[in-house]
Amino acid sequence: MTSHAVPADGDPRRLLAEARGLARRVRLTQRVTWLPLLVLAVVTFGAIPVSGWGPTVTSGCRAVDGGQVCKVWEPAPQLYWLAALLLAYVVIARGYLRVARARGVDARVRPYVLTGVALTVVLFAALAAGTGAWIVPDPQLLDPSTSVQVLFRLLTPTGGIGLALLVLAWLERHPALLLFALGYLTVVLVPVTFGWAVHWGGRWQFAPMLVITGGLLLLGSTGFALAQRLRRAR
Amino acid sequence: MTDPDDTPAPDETAPAHPVTDLDDVVHQRVRLGILTIAHEARRVEFGFLRTQLELTAGNLSKHLSVLETAGLIGVEKGYEGRRGRTWITLTPAGSAALAAEVTRLKVLIARVENTDIPEDR
Repeated sequence: MTSHAVPADGDPRRLLAEARGLARRVRLTQRVTWLPLLVLAVVTFGAIPVSGWGPTVTSGCRAVDGGQVCKVWEPAPQLYWLAALLLAYVVIARGYLRVARARGVDARVRPYVLTGVALTVVLFAALAAGTGAWIVPDPQLLDPSTSVQVLFRLLTPTGGIGLALLVLAWLERHPALLLFALGYLTVVLVPVTFGWAVHWGGRWQFAPMLVITGGLLLLGSTGFALAQRLRRAR
Repeated sequence: MTDPDDTPAPDETAPAHPVTDLDDVVHQRVRLGILTIAHEARRVEFGFLRTQLELTAGNLSKHLSVLETAGLIGVEKGYEGRRGRTWITLTPAGSAALAAEVTRLKVLIARVENTDIPEDR
């Protein structure tokens, strides 16, 4: 008999299966998926009044065929999204750590928060630098192609929220969250408004889309919270 | 009949069987579980380990002590309010030992699966 005999409970397949099972249980314990969805839903709903009532600054107007083109700056919603998203990611990081530590583990949330913060900063830097005008020249900007519209919708705060959620789904190895994030991005990029936005013009034109994306995040938060509660009760 | 002396000596250049490489400290089922949980959780509390591994406090402490002595984990004691809490973290050596153990187990499984098992004679 060899002195290196494998112990009776040391069957390699069983050991590996047990290790994978334990790792999966830890990942389930670390999940606080409802929290970022809830916080981001609140931020999205908060953007509705700010977008509707905030001042609009118009400059650099010039005539083009059939009208005029102006540079429009809406400082209130832009500053709101920047501040609210940065604050939201700080709240999410602290909340995740707090809940996970109360459960006896550490949270796996830092890459998600860093991605969210980085996307927010890059998006607003791009916006401030007027990147849209670099990507598409002026005449086309009045009637951009579908692919350009999709790209512009992705480069919005709601698009950034969806991209960061994909990172969270990957970190948590969470297929349900991955499906949710893809569904959310579809709603943002298509965009799915159920025709609701057609008669909303002017300053409130973004309200239906914000209600829909905020509502989707809220629904997701409720769904994941219920699912987690049911799993812990079992 | 074969003379026992004619038996070929083991080929020293041949790679060792993966079983001979197993590290007893890590290979033990409970200790492998502790390392796995600590790796996945980054930092894990004593009570969580006890619940997940279904061990008594004394039994878990003995395994933790073996791992700590081997330099594979760090143990940090503190308070949360009035409640004492013990947190366990994986050291870089522990992380490497866990990765090596998982690799060895996979090699072992592959080797067993690729070996023709002789039929009962």
